[in-house]
Order: sequence, then C-alpha cells, then structure tokens
Amino acid sequence: MKPGRWLVVGMLVPWLTGCVNATVDQMVFNSPTESMGDASVVILGRRHASDYETEPDFIRCVGSHIGARDDSIRIIGELEFLNALYPWFEPRTAPLRPADLEKLLEHRDVAQKFASLQTRYMIWIDGSTVRGESAGSMTCGIGPGGGGCFGFGTWSDDASYEATIWDFTRRAEVGRISATASGQSYMPAVVLPIPIIAPVQGTACDSVGDQLLQFLSGDN
Amino acid sequence: MSGSMTTAPERCRWLTTLVLACLLAGCGTKEVIVQSEFPDPVMNRLPLTLGIWYDDAFANHEFFDEASGRAESSWRVNTGQAQVELWQTLLKGMFENVVFMNSKPGPGQMNPVVDAVLLPAVDELQYAIPAHTNVKVYEIWMRYRFHLVTTGGDPIAEWTMPAYGKTPTAFMQSDEGAVRLAAIVALRDAGAHFATTFTRVPQVEAWLNSLPHTGQQQAAP
Repeated sequence: MKPGRWLVVGMLVPWLTGCVNATVDQMVFNSPTESMGDASVVILGRRHASDYETEPDFIRCVGSHIGARDDSIRIIGELEFLNALYPWFEPRTAPLRPADLEKLLEHRDVAQKFASLQTRYMIWIDGSTVRGESAGSMTCGIGPGGGGCFGFGTWSDDASYEATIWDFTRRAEVGRISATASGQSYMPAVVLPIPIIAPVQGTACDSVGDQLLQFLSGDN
Repeated sequence: MSGSMTTAPERCRWLTTLVLACLLAGCGTKEVIVQSEFPDPVMNRLPLTLGIWYDDAFANHEFFDEASGRAESSWRVNTGQAQVELWQTLLKGMFENVVFMNSKPGPGQMNPVVDAVLLPAVDELQYAIPAHTNVKVYEIWMRYRFHLVTTGGDPIAEWTMPAYGKTPTAFMQSDEGAVRLAAIVALRDAGAHFATTFTRVPQVEAWLNSLPHTGQQQAAP
C-alpha cells in the first residue's frame, strides 16, 4: 500500500467508534463557596454489591479527568487512601452514611490521619458497565497459506454510575450525580476483524468527571 | 535469504504443533502464588504482649481444586506467603508487643513469656470464576479458625471468622491474575474483620476483662 493510503487509513481509524448515548442527572445541595485551598478530595468505589463491583479503572479515570482539567484540586488516589486508613475503608468496614464518620473519628489515630490528609470531600461512586445483548457470528480459520476471519458481530454495553458527595468537614451529603451511558459496538470481519468499539465506560467517566469538576469548582 | 524460509509441509507441521500446544494449555493446572504487601493498621494498640505461632499448614497454605471435566482446568492457589505477610503486619499494628514463638505452645516448651499466643489456621478456601457463576466477578472465600492459648497451651478462646474478596473482570486480564487480586482483597478483608472484631469475641472479651492492665482499654481496638 502506498504511504498516502496508509495516511488515509490512519486518519480514519480514530473515527471508527460506535455511537454512545449518555444521560446525566445532578442534584446539588451545597457546592463550595470558596477555593479548595490545600484541602483534598478522595474518590472511592463502593464495593458492597454481590453481583458487580465498581471498577477501580473507572475510579482512576474520574480522578484523572478532574486532575487533568483543574490542577488546583488535589485528588488522593483510591489505593493510597485505603492503605493510609486501613482497615476502616474496606468493603466490610467502610462508612455507609456521613454520620458514621463521627464514630470513626473517635479513634485518635484515624482522626490524626484524616487531619494530615486534609480531606474536604469524599466522593463515593457506585455502579458498573455491563455487556448487554450480542448478535452475529464470526468464523476464523488458519491454514498453511495463512488465516483470516469472516462474519459480523455486534453487542451493546450499558454503564450506570452514581456519585455521592460527602462534605467531610460538615459530615453531610452535599450532592449526588448519576450518569448512564449505552452504546452499540460492531465488529465486521473480511479477512481482518475491524473492531468499531463504542466507548461507553469512557463516556460515563467523562460525564461524571465533568459534573464533579463543575461541583468542585463551585460553578453551579 | 532462501535458507530462512520454510516449505509448505514444514509450515503445516509448525502450525499443527502450535494449535496442539494451545489446546493442551487449556488442560493444565492454573497456578496462582499470592504475594502482596499489606498496610499497617491505623488503630490504638492493645497493651498486650502477643505471641504468634504459625504451623506449616498455615505458613505454606495451598489450595488445590482438581478439574471435574476435560474442558476445565485444575487450580492451585498458594496463599501461605501472603498469609504470613498479612498477619505479621496486622498484629504488629494491633498489639504493643508481638513475639514469634520458638515452638508450638504446650507444657514444657521453651517459649518467651507472653500474655497469650495466637494460632491462626485456614479451615477452608473456595473460589469462583465467571465461567462457574455467569457473574462477571472472580471471588475468593476463606474461613479462618483462631486459637488463643496460654504459653502452656491451655485454651483461652477459639473462634472462626470468614473473609471474602472479589474483583471484576477486566480487559486483557487472565483468570490467574484476577484470582490473585481477589485473594488479596480477601486477605485485606480478613485483616479488617479481625482487627475490628477481636475484642468483641465473647471469650476474648472475658479474658481481656480479667487482665488488670487491659480491662479499661479493650473497648476501642
């Protein structure tokens, strides 16, 4: 293939993504009225459900999304926070309501650790991305002369996440954001399979990240 | 140049070998050696000198599940090293002094003087992978059995404690990698469960209340 054709293919590949529909709901009670200063924000995944698990990748994605757009907001990594306060934020022991933080702070060492981390907001994210219905079939073969695939496959993905914002200083819930996204991916194959993937989880991450950023920047 | 090229029958042989190797790989035993570092617990230390004794079954704990059919794989999950790492880190953070015993507590044994000796054991371990359950999580469940005894081997308390860990499926993650992560979550859960309930085990609570120097402090682990 001529270099010019490779260039055209290279330019087209990034556009080969499936369509995604996203919906965001936001409910804010008390957004910050002043700058965050040296205070920090921690984003944690809820892991209490028996049939799904909030993906650690998603939590990292939301943190990176906020950090990349506003470097004045200090985000504490999930694992760093869980290790710093072990064993009080494991799935078995994590507080379920803001009022539970009060009981946790009765432990002198825990209170000292919180003071050193300067945590202002604690954001809990609950949800997951699941694979929906799939259809189509693909056959791949290999022989002495080479190999290849032929067929067509399609599947849907659905993401649903809810972020609950706790104000650590007031021990109160101050906002709730939910985002859903769904998309259809396709994989046609004529010798080579060409995946056209719908970035469902990435879209949900951007939606939640944008709303949290708006909240933390006090732009409501 | 032509010396490096293969003929069609040769290529066929290579491909057949490759395909057979891939098929056979699915029949082998999947081995997982769990290794991890665990964080120090953030808690007020109990004013006790605790002895620890790990027997060989615990320090080298291994779980083996033989495949029930030709399409399935056998599993060998080794948690011994991670168990020792977890309990050493956890207990050192929970008690003022932690001493490792020279031998299993019993009459006539030459061991350091301690308030009590903890003997942990893994009673049972079970695992589940998405192929078994149709749920996109890998799970590990363990049941521990603890014996708290005097240096002479007299029983103070005995209790069991469950621990559970799960991890979601992820792109490009192997079954072994996911089971290893689930085991680490289960071990962290075991530490969290033990640390937050130790003083509430009825026999332990009664024993702590009988000690002059811990009676007032045992309520807050």
